[in-house]
Amino acid sequence: MTGTLLVQQGGHSVVTDLGRVRGPRYGLPVNGALDQFSARAANILVGNHDNEPLLEITALDVRLRSTEDILISVTGASLTLTVGGRECPQWEPVSVAAGETISIRAMRGGLRAYLAIHGSVETPTLLGSCAPDTVVGFGHRLMDGDSLATRRSVRPIRQPYFDLPLFRLGLSRPGISTHPVIEVTDGPDIEEFGETAQKLFSGSYTVGDRSNHIGLRLRGDLPERQLTSEVLSRGVPVGAVEVPSRDELLVLHRGRGVTAGYPVMAVVTSLSLDALAQARPGHLITFRHTTVAEATANHRSAMRELDKLRTRVNTVFGLLGLQSGTTGSGANALESNQTA
Amino acid sequence: MGASTTIEVHEAGDAALRVVATTGDREHDWKTVHALAGWLDSSGMDGIHGAVPTYDSLLVEFDSHLTSARQVRAIVLLAMRQIDFVGATSRTPRQFEVPVVYGGQFGPDLARVADHEGLGVEEIIRLHTAKSYVIRCLGAPAGSPMMDGPDFPLPVPRLKDPRISVPAGAVSVAGRQAVIAPASAPGGWCVIGQTPLTLLDASREPLVPYLPGDVLRFHRISPEDFARYDGQPLEALP
Repeated sequence: MTGTLLVQQGGHSVVTDLGRVRGPRYGLPVNGALDQFSARAANILVGNHDNEPLLEITALDVRLRSTEDILISVTGASLTLTVGGRECPQWEPVSVAAGETISIRAMRGGLRAYLAIHGSVETPTLLGSCAPDTVVGFGHRLMDGDSLATRRSVRPIRQPYFDLPLFRLGLSRPGISTHPVIEVTDGPDIEEFGETAQKLFSGSYTVGDRSNHIGLRLRGDLPERQLTSEVLSRGVPVGAVEVPSRDELLVLHRGRGVTAGYPVMAVVTSLSLDALAQARPGHLITFRHTTVAEATANHRSAMRELDKLRTRVNTVFGLLGLQSGTTGSGANALESNQTA
Repeated sequence: MGASTTIEVHEAGDAALRVVATTGDREHDWKTVHALAGWLDSSGMDGIHGAVPTYDSLLVEFDSHLTSARQVRAIVLLAMRQIDFVGATSRTPRQFEVPVVYGGQFGPDLARVADHEGLGVEEIIRLHTAKSYVIRCLGAPAGSPMMDGPDFPLPVPRLKDPRISVPAGAVSVAGRQAVIAPASAPGGWCVIGQTPLTLLDASREPLVPYLPGDVLRFHRISPEDFARYDGQPLEALP
């Protein structure tokens, strides 16, 4: 530990990572950052491994004060970021001097932002992950007056003459829409819905108020299951589209119970799950049909963007003499001999 | 029998596959999906996050950046040819005894289940405590021990309005399945009783003391006895 991040205003924020991938085999949801692309990008931008603990900030304003010089980045939903009163860019590394306050407010256009700190923060883990699990009662939710131990100090990097952005690392950031198009592939149980499965693509759905990290509840024209037989519990994928009641469509997200007995009509793609993480109650959603091959290609293309960003960050950090923890997500070495 | 005739592999998005064992022999199908899960977990295959085996099916989760649905399907079919069914079931099952208070505030759906089955409440309790249950899999929430149901005449329907919160220790039935809730969570199953024992310990890995294949029995205790056990951990019999 080198310093402390004091939580002046916690908002609705948690310490998380990319998820508890060893959880599902023990009956625990994977959880972790709901917008995985933004979370990875935030860590990469400060020279961390993709999976380091970082803050997931949902909707509400947050204020933090650091006792040390640190380097942060904020990604995800658009918002107003100020450090020591100066407005700073998102999706870029930002220097914070000891004693300065980081203020995140006026989130708009999305629901979740990610704040990563060079060197990350100290936090307990369960099955190899710090991601909160609300059912088990594990995880660190930021409370006003809390403090987080930061692991690395970084002397301030400042433009000497103007407050111009320092880095311009040029990530093509995903647009956040109030009417996103969500891509789905056919689910393993689509046949149980007969012709009504097509209703999914015929109109828009409204995100309901009871949506959370477990799942989004959508109102609209609902497909209907044509069978009434009881289904044995089985593993459900993150992204499963189900019709558990006559009122709502349920799209399961990363906090989903690992097993259930509802038929899976469709499955949201990995990339569209990131877009759903930014959907607010009241937003409209349109579904678009795709194939697993196309979804895989799109996911890989997004991951290649992150690989390029990682390379640029390593170069810049090397020039600045900054310690960079990134050797990649482990993906680069494999990529050459993989085909979709 | 060739591998392709005993399992089906279905797409479940770009990051998961559902494997279903299809012989119709429940015991055999259960062993197949658990042996497959064990093989995949110990293979250390890059990009495969893990496998969730249940009764007759298996969800295999992976990172489509590092591997792909097509590759994982090929790996599953390869695994089917390599699985050692004897090795997969050689662990000696442990035994668990679970005290339960039935009915009343502890089991609000007991009377409803009795009505549905056309049996008396006492007969439901007798059937529920009559058999040994093999834990088939760990499910939601929080590593629930999921078992085949008691020998009721009819499958038990799920609640039309799932409860917002079912307490930890709730002993429930649905369809032809039985379960205990290790943690408080929403639930749509019929709650017929509650155990005062604690199943979940978040400081331990895994978080629950049992594994698929272990054997569990329920026995009835009085509401007055609930406090006597309250908070004690569930442990395997010596």
